[in-house]
Amino acid sequence: MKTPERDATRHHRLSRRAFVTGTAAAGVTAAAGLEGILAAGRAPAYAQGTRLNIVRWVDFIPACDVELKRQAPEASKALGAEVVFEFINANDLQPRITAAMQSGSGPDIIQMLHNWPHLYANGLVDVSDLVAWQVKEQGALYTLSEVNVKVGGKFMALPHGIVPGLIAYRKSWFDEVGATTFPKTYEELRQVAAKLKKKGKPYGQTLGHTFGDAPGWAYPLMWNYGGMEVDKSGKTAIDSKGTVEAVKFMTAFWKDGCDEGGLAWDDTNNNRAFLAGEICGSLNGASIYIAAKRGQDKIKDEKGEPMLRDIQHARLPAGPAGSSSYQASFHHGVMQYGKNQKLAKDFLKWLHGKEQFGKWFQVAEGFSIGSTKFWEQHPLWSTIDEPMKGFRTAADNSRVLGYAGAPSAKATEAYTKYVVVDMFAKGVQGMKAEDAVQWAAGELKKIYG
Amino acid sequence: MVIERRWKKWVYFYIPLTLFVIGTLFPFYWMLITSIRPDAELYRSWRAANNTPFWTLAPTLEHFRDLMAKTTFPQWLWNTFFIACASTAISLFCGLLAGYALGRLKFPLAGTIGTSIFVTYLVPPTLLFIPLANIIRTFQLGDTPWALILTYPTFLIPFCTWLLMGYFKTIPKELEECARIDGATRFGAMVRIIFPIAVPGILSAGIFAFTLSWNEFIYALVFLSSPEKKTVPVGVVSELIRGDIYFWGQLMAGALLGSIPVALVYSFFVEYYVTGLTGSVKG
Amino acid sequence: MTRFLENERLLACLLLAPTVILLGLFIAYPFVMGVWLSLSNTSVGNLGVFVGLKNFIKAWNDSIFQTAFYNTFFYTFWATIFKLVLGMWLALLLNRHFRGKRIVRASMLLPFIVPTVLSTFAWRWMFDPTFSVLNWLLYQGGFITTKLPFLSDGVYGMWCAIVVNTWRGMPFFAITLLAGLQTISTDLQEAASLDGANGWQRFWHVTWPLLKPVTLVVVVFSVIQTFSDFQLIYVLTGGGPANATHLLATYAYQIGVATGLLGEGAAISLFMLPVLFIVVWVQLRYLRRLEGA
Repeated sequence: MKTPERDATRHHRLSRRAFVTGTAAAGVTAAAGLEGILAAGRAPAYAQGTRLNIVRWVDFIPACDVELKRQAPEASKALGAEVVFEFINANDLQPRITAAMQSGSGPDIIQMLHNWPHLYANGLVDVSDLVAWQVKEQGALYTLSEVNVKVGGKFMALPHGIVPGLIAYRKSWFDEVGATTFPKTYEELRQVAAKLKKKGKPYGQTLGHTFGDAPGWAYPLMWNYGGMEVDKSGKTAIDSKGTVEAVKFMTAFWKDGCDEGGLAWDDTNNNRAFLAGEICGSLNGASIYIAAKRGQDKIKDEKGEPMLRDIQHARLPAGPAGSSSYQASFHHGVMQYGKNQKLAKDFLKWLHGKEQFGKWFQVAEGFSIGSTKFWEQHPLWSTIDEPMKGFRTAADNSRVLGYAGAPSAKATEAYTKYVVVDMFAKGVQGMKAEDAVQWAAGELKKIYG
Repeated sequence: MVIERRWKKWVYFYIPLTLFVIGTLFPFYWMLITSIRPDAELYRSWRAANNTPFWTLAPTLEHFRDLMAKTTFPQWLWNTFFIACASTAISLFCGLLAGYALGRLKFPLAGTIGTSIFVTYLVPPTLLFIPLANIIRTFQLGDTPWALILTYPTFLIPFCTWLLMGYFKTIPKELEECARIDGATRFGAMVRIIFPIAVPGILSAGIFAFTLSWNEFIYALVFLSSPEKKTVPVGVVSELIRGDIYFWGQLMAGALLGSIPVALVYSFFVEYYVTGLTGSVKG
Repeated sequence: MTRFLENERLLACLLLAPTVILLGLFIAYPFVMGVWLSLSNTSVGNLGVFVGLKNFIKAWNDSIFQTAFYNTFFYTFWATIFKLVLGMWLALLLNRHFRGKRIVRASMLLPFIVPTVLSTFAWRWMFDPTFSVLNWLLYQGGFITTKLPFLSDGVYGMWCAIVVNTWRGMPFFAITLLAGLQTISTDLQEAASLDGANGWQRFWHVTWPLLKPVTLVVVVFSVIQTFSDFQLIYVLTGGGPANATHLLATYAYQIGVATGLLGEGAAISLFMLPVLFIVVWVQLRYLRRLEGA
C-alpha cells in the first residue's frame, strides 16, 4: 500500500537546458526513453506517488552508498517518480529475493550477484535491450559478467560491475621472512605463512558461509589444482585427483599457516583482523586498503606508522594446473512482479550511464570496477595509489561458477549450498581429503542429477 | 521460620545468588560498555598491552548519537511498539473470550477445540511463512504492519488462552451464580464480575504477549521490506551490519535502546506478572 | 438477544469465533498449503508439480539434515535440563526474603525481555574469533595459551548456543516456578523441618511433588520453543561452521529461502511436527495423570 508520507514535490519540472548541457558535457547519449523526455521538455507523466524501490547490498565502501543516496533525488527529478534505495547485508539478498518473489511484492529492482540471474530467471524481466544499449555505449562486457546474466540467449539482468579480489598482505612482514616477492605458487605461500604463523602472524582466510571471500578462495584453489565441479558435458567431475590434492593442500596450509578461527569468519572478520594487525595476509577486495587509508590516523602498524604504507596486493598463487581466480560480479535485475517495469528500466539506463556510473566509480576508488573494458581507461587508474593498480585488470582471469559446464541454475544452487567451500572446511576439520571430496561429489550429484 | 546457621546462609544463599546475578547481568554490562566505547578501542588486538575490556577511560555517546541520527532507529522503535500493542490487544481479546469459553462453559467439542488450539502452537513458523507470504499477497498486506499484526496472534493466542483458562478455572462458580440469581445475564456476569477478577491474569498474559511480539524476528524479516517499516530486531540485524564492518558500538547501543520499552513495561507490572502466573498455575 | 446468549453452546460458539477464524486463516490454511509445498518440487519463481515423498526422502538421506536433526535434539535436551535445574535453583533462592528482593527479581527477567537477536549479538561479540573478551579473561587468568574456538568449531559452537539459550530462557523458568512456589504454604515446610528433614529432603519430598504440574507445563512450552528455535542459531553461527550447528529450523530456512528450494525447505520443517507432537503428548498425558491423582 502506498502511503503518502513523503512531502510533496515529486514532479519537479526539469530545466531542459540544464539537463541537456549537463549530459552533453559528460558525453552521455540519451537512450530512446530519455530522448523522449528531453524532446517533450518535461518529466514523463508517472502517476503521482509512484515509487521505485531498489535493493542493493551494503557496500563495503560506505562512501559508495552515500553517493547513491545522493544520486537518488537527481534520478527522481529526471524520471518524475520517487527513487528510493534500500541497503541490506549481502548475505540477506537471496532470502529477500525469495520472499519478494513468493509474496509477489517488494522492491522493483534487486541487485543480483554472481550467477543468480540463472536461478531467478523466471521472476526477472528480459533486459536484453538495456544490455544492447550498454554494450553500444561502453563496449563489450567481460565474459564473467556476460555469462552470468545470459540465460537461454536472453539477458535477465544488467551488469553493473565487479568487485575484484586480490591478496592483501603486509610487505614488511613478508620481507622479514625472506619473501621479497609474493609467493608464486600455493606451496611457496604455505611455507611463508608457516614461518609467519610461528611468529604469531598467520595468514587469514574464511571458510564460512559468506558470499564473497570464501568462494573467491575455494573455487580457484580447486581449479588451479585441476579440479572442477562438472565437466563440459555437465557431468559431475569433482571427484578427481586434482581436487583431492587441493583439499590436502588446504588442510596442510590451514594447520601450518592459517588463523584457525577462520571457519567462523564471514566477509568482515578478515578485514578487522588485518587492520588490527592479527594476520599477515588475506584474500579480499580493496576494502582493507581503502579502510586503512581512510582511517590513517587510527590504523597503525606496530611501529606507529599508518599501516597503509605496508599493504601490498598480489594475485592468487598458481597451482599445478594454472592460475585462475573467481571474482564477484554484480548486476541489477528488474523483478517481474513489479508494477513499474518501464520506470525501472529507464532508471537503470540513467544509473548505468557514463555520467552517473562514472561518479559512483570514482567514489569507489578502485573497489568496484566496471563490467566492461571501457572502465579500465578511466583516469582514476593513473592517479590511484600504487598498491591499488593491480585491481584494474584483476578480473581478466576469472572463471565462472560451475566450470567447466555451462552456467546454469544448478551451478547457482551448488554455490548457495556452499558445496565447494564446505568440502575444504571438512578437510580442514579433520576429514580425510578423499572422503571430503566424495561428500562433495554426492552433493553435486543430487543437484546436477 | 526455619532457623539456619550463618555460614550456611552464605554458602547456600548469598554466594549462589550473587553468581546468578553476575552471570545473568554480565552480558548487559558488556553491551553497555561496548556501546560507550570509542571505535579505536573496539578494534584493538586482544593481546595489546593496554587492552581494558571491562571499562573504558574515554566513554563516548557517539554510537547512540549515530544510531538515532543516521539510521531510522527511532522509526523502528515506534513500529515495533505499535505492532506489539496491536497484536497484544487482539490476542488478549481472543484469548479472553476463548479462555472463558473453554474454562467455564460446558459444550460439546470443548476438549477437542481446546486441544486443537494448543496444537496450532506446535506448527513451526519456518513451515508457515512461505504460504503466509502468499496469503499476505492476496490480501495485499505486504510491507505493512498489518501483515504482522494479524500473524503474530497465531502464536500469542494459544498461550494467552491457556493462561486465562487456568485463571478462570480457579474462580469459584458461586460468584457467577450469585450474580445470576441477582438478575444478571450470563453474558453480563461474565463481563462485569469475572473479567475484573481476572485482571492480574490478563495483565500477565498481556505482558507476555507484548514481550513475544517485541521479540519476533522471522515473520518481520520476511514480510517487511521498506527500511522505515522495519521492527527493531530486523532493522538492527539488516542495517547495522554494514558490509565489512559490524558497527558493534551502534549494534550494542541499538540493543540497549531496543530493550528499554519492554523493560519499562515489565518494571511497572512485574508484580502483577508473578501474581498472574500464580493464579493460573493454581488452576 | 440475551436469551440467545444464555444458551451455553451458542455463547461458546460466539466467544470462540474470533480465535477460530484467526487461527484457521493464518495457521490451518497455510499449514495445508505448507504440506502441499512439501509434496511438490516448487522452487522460487517456478510452480511445482506433485512429487510425493521425494523431498522427505532426499532430506532424510542428506548428511547435513541428519546433523541438524541430531543437533536439534541435543540442543533442546541439554538446554531444557540446564534451564530447569538453574531455574528451579534460582526460584528457590528468590523465594526468600532479603533486601533488594524486588530489584533482583526484576533484573533476573532481563535476559528474557531483551529481544533475542540483540542479546545474541552481544554474546556473539563476546565469542568473537578475534576479539573475544572471554578468551582474554581466560588468557589473562593463565587458563589458556591459544584462543578457544568458540564459534569456529562445531562442538564448541553447539555448547555456546546451549549456554546462550540457557541464559535467555532460565528467567522464564525461574519466575514461573517462583509463582508456583508461592502457592505452597510454608506450614508444610515447617512441619517437615520439625519432623527432622534437612533442606534437600524438604525440597524433594515436600516441594517438588507440589511443583510437578507447574514444572511440566513450563517444560512443555519451553521444549516447543527450543525445538523450533530459529533466531538464536541464525544470529550466533548462521548454522556454521560448515553446517555443523544447524537446527532443523535454520536448515529449513537456508534451503527454502536462501537457496529458493521451497518444497524441500517445507519438507524439512515438517519433520519437526511429529516429534514435537509426540514429546508434547507424552508430557500432557503425564500431566493429566498427576492432576487426576
